[in-house]
Amino acid sequence: MTEAAAPAPVATVTRPRHTLWGDAWTRLRRNRLAIAGGSVIIVVALAAIFSPLITPYGFADQDLNSIMLGPTLAHPLGTDELGRDVLARLLYGARTSLAVGVFTQIIVVLIGLPLGAIAGAVGGRLDNMLMRFVDVMYAFPDILLIILLRAVFGGSIFMIFLAIGLVAWVNIARLTRGQVMSLKGRDFITAARVMGGSQRYVMLRHLVPNSLGPIIVVLTFNVPRAIFAEAALSYIGIGVRPPTPSWGAMIRDGYDLIFANSNLVLFPALSVGVLMLAFTFLGDGLRDALDPRLRR
Amino acid sequence: MGEDVVVRVAGLAMHFPITSGLFLQRKIGLVKAVDGVSFAVRKGETLGLVGESGCGKTTVGKCVLQLYRPTSGSVFFEGQDLCRMSEGQLRQVRPRMQLIFQDPGESLDPRFTAADIVGEPMWIQGKAQGPAYRERIAELLSIVGLAPYMADRYPHEFSGGQRQRLGVARALALEPTFIVCDEPVSALDVSIQAQIINLLDDLQQKYGIAYLFIAHDLSVVRHLSDRVAVMYLGKIAEIAGRDALYQEPLHPYTQALLSAVPIPDPAVEAKRVPIILKGEVPSPINPPSGCVFHPRCPKAFGPCPTVVPVLADVSQDHQVSCLLYPPSWPPSAPP
Amino acid sequence: MADLLQVRDLTTHFFTRDGEVGAVDGVSYSVAAGETIALVGESGCGKTVSALSIVRLIPEPPGRILSGKVLFDGADLLQLPADEMRLVRGGKIAMIFQEPMTSLNPVLTVGRQITEALELHQHMNRQDAFRETVRLLKLVGIPNADQRARSYPHHLSGGMRQRVMIAMAISCKPKLIIADEPTTALDVTIQAQLLELMRSIARDLGTATILITHNLGVVARYARRVYVMYAGKIVEHGPALAVYHDPRHPYTVGLLASVPRLDEPRKTRLAPIEGQPPDLVSLPRGCAFQARCSFYSGGCEGQALDLLEVSPGHYSVCWQGRKGREEWAKT
Repeated sequence: MTEAAAPAPVATVTRPRHTLWGDAWTRLRRNRLAIAGGSVIIVVALAAIFSPLITPYGFADQDLNSIMLGPTLAHPLGTDELGRDVLARLLYGARTSLAVGVFTQIIVVLIGLPLGAIAGAVGGRLDNMLMRFVDVMYAFPDILLIILLRAVFGGSIFMIFLAIGLVAWVNIARLTRGQVMSLKGRDFITAARVMGGSQRYVMLRHLVPNSLGPIIVVLTFNVPRAIFAEAALSYIGIGVRPPTPSWGAMIRDGYDLIFANSNLVLFPALSVGVLMLAFTFLGDGLRDALDPRLRR
Repeated sequence: MGEDVVVRVAGLAMHFPITSGLFLQRKIGLVKAVDGVSFAVRKGETLGLVGESGCGKTTVGKCVLQLYRPTSGSVFFEGQDLCRMSEGQLRQVRPRMQLIFQDPGESLDPRFTAADIVGEPMWIQGKAQGPAYRERIAELLSIVGLAPYMADRYPHEFSGGQRQRLGVARALALEPTFIVCDEPVSALDVSIQAQIINLLDDLQQKYGIAYLFIAHDLSVVRHLSDRVAVMYLGKIAEIAGRDALYQEPLHPYTQALLSAVPIPDPAVEAKRVPIILKGEVPSPINPPSGCVFHPRCPKAFGPCPTVVPVLADVSQDHQVSCLLYPPSWPPSAPP
Repeated sequence: MADLLQVRDLTTHFFTRDGEVGAVDGVSYSVAAGETIALVGESGCGKTVSALSIVRLIPEPPGRILSGKVLFDGADLLQLPADEMRLVRGGKIAMIFQEPMTSLNPVLTVGRQITEALELHQHMNRQDAFRETVRLLKLVGIPNADQRARSYPHHLSGGMRQRVMIAMAISCKPKLIIADEPTTALDVTIQAQLLELMRSIARDLGTATILITHNLGVVARYARRVYVMYAGKIVEHGPALAVYHDPRHPYTVGLLASVPRLDEPRKTRLAPIEGQPPDLVSLPRGCAFQARCSFYSGGCEGQALDLLEVSPGHYSVCWQGRKGREEWAKT
């Protein structure tokens, strides 16, 4: 009978516990295509890392006695016009493609995320200026910019990352800004300000972490675009320098010999296609998994 | 009004510009959300602030906490004028004045655990060290009636009432002397509302915190407040001690509001004839001339459309802004 | 009195990742022609789902109407083919929702939305439909009705939009209006206007109304009979006066005690119902309210949850319901 004065008894929650990321993972796991895509990416990454264990050949090893072979036991995917093993070149080429995919996105995040977050959080004139700059970058033709950058800064592989990254960050900047602006009006941001949190604190602790979901999705979709951009650059001859293999360069080289040995185009083209699809499926799955509206 | 006043608001006005145009933003109008509001909140008391949506009550709360920087007027907190402080200086004062939100789900970061939410004010103020910090979190959770084992849960794992308890615990963390409660129970179910109201009541008794209690539910406001201010279209229509206001409302708007509240008793309801106001609340962009309430007022008479009434003492601690009462006549236009 | 609507043993569950949610579990109620009843309860008690089940607007999946009968005008609505059901909805049964903006089409003028319904259900031509629309908008108290008919939903205030919804609801002379929290989003003075309007319309047109709300005051002002829901079940029902003055279920007792009343002297402390509503996925055996009940006694787990008649026309599922609160308090 002394019940009334005691704090409210609290019913135990009997449902299984979920964190937000845990929830997203559960949803992602149920998406077969996304899991297939993720598996393909992991297999390709492992193959790229451990390529010396998979094939005895180096990517530049020439065997002039076996030129333009079809698939054989010694060369499962055949050889090219210089007697180089196609499988070995594909595996080492995967390194280039994945590196392009990952490093460009790192550059994209490093530039786009802070600029977008600052523009969104601070607002006003600074926002206006930053966003007009983004508009200009957005309007500039991508390939032209990349060619310019390559012409000015020369041709190391890092310059390719930089070039592709420099044209791709605007999307992330815009997205981050939009996310931050929509979060800024939410009560938990006001709460942090009422506690005396500085603008920097609010941005790093609340605004950015809560914007990450859609950003991760867009980054995942960006990876195949970067891979394709590198392939396209290599195809027009301003990509990685020979003999470093890249799938795009392999397609270009094989293209001249397509009637002699179509495998030289087929395998790298298939690889590009499969990896791009894998990232797209994964991105699709992530978008569904991270969408808070689907929470139940 | 002596030293026992925690917050004193004088001539507060908050006008939001309406702009148009993408590059060269032109002002095309003003929303006078709050227009000349003055009141005081004494130590350990609750001032209820009631009114309908759009009357400016939430804006007043945000101006008091300087979440909006007011267009004019002053907000004295513990004797200092917050309106003249920089953001940096304000951060020093903020721990002592807190806010409890309407929607407990919205006000908690979904990626924080309960312990993080309650502990956040302490990190921000650099008081989050060692075992004392964990202890304080457990203490705060138990003060608001949550069990310590819930500390690692995320907001979505709590019910609405429990989330509001978390919001209260967070507001208490820095031992404030004043809390703005902005519709703290209106998003909750009836049975849970009573729990939170009792909790707020207990905390006030225990820690002597002053509340500015903003709500549209007149019965809840009566239960919690010592004094009540009624707002209409950015201005205070009437302000008085709780019993005076509820037993003898003077302003026709207060009278209509009180009669519009349905009473949970069919027998009582069958006998009541509510005062039904005409029309809707006009836009604060283009408020009516004279007394802003006159187009809807059942008692409006000759001078109402032209003379602007002032908030004045009609009796001891009972101020009203209505031309039916001679003290409300402005000095320039005698009755 | 012949019942216009009879809901019998309606059961609607939702199948979610966390398990089966018994949103509505064996609910029965009836509405006589021209009568106003209220379904009262807190969020998640199943009051809205039970009403949406009547007109078969439950999203499937995850929801499913598992069993029950909805007898309306002699037919079981749950057995009707989909196209006949569409004619019932908006024709004989109209709905008014809490947030009118979600049920109005933002790109059509409000007038057009009403004339469309008139053309479909009443087979009117355009001119007649427009004239009728203006008449309806005047009837629900919209000033300058012929101009207002040409404006878009976002031009109107919340109260005006709700008036449009009412005009739309009565446009096809329905026999039953289901009003789901119609005034919850509105201010008290506007709420008073609208309740007055709905009452006079129901009286003049002889329309029956199911009012769904959590606001005990609105129910007291508006409804003759009350059904109180808790955790998917009706726990008490009867004439409003009996339920309010002599509640026979501890939940109803608790609800009435937890709201402050303006007509009574101010209490120093409210008496809330302690604890939280139960998780509908894992309900306790027996009465779902037992964990929060202040009159709990050892026998509560084993009791069947049948509605017992505690006084004429007044039913409660509490097995101790015949006692009433004075006797409960003693034990």
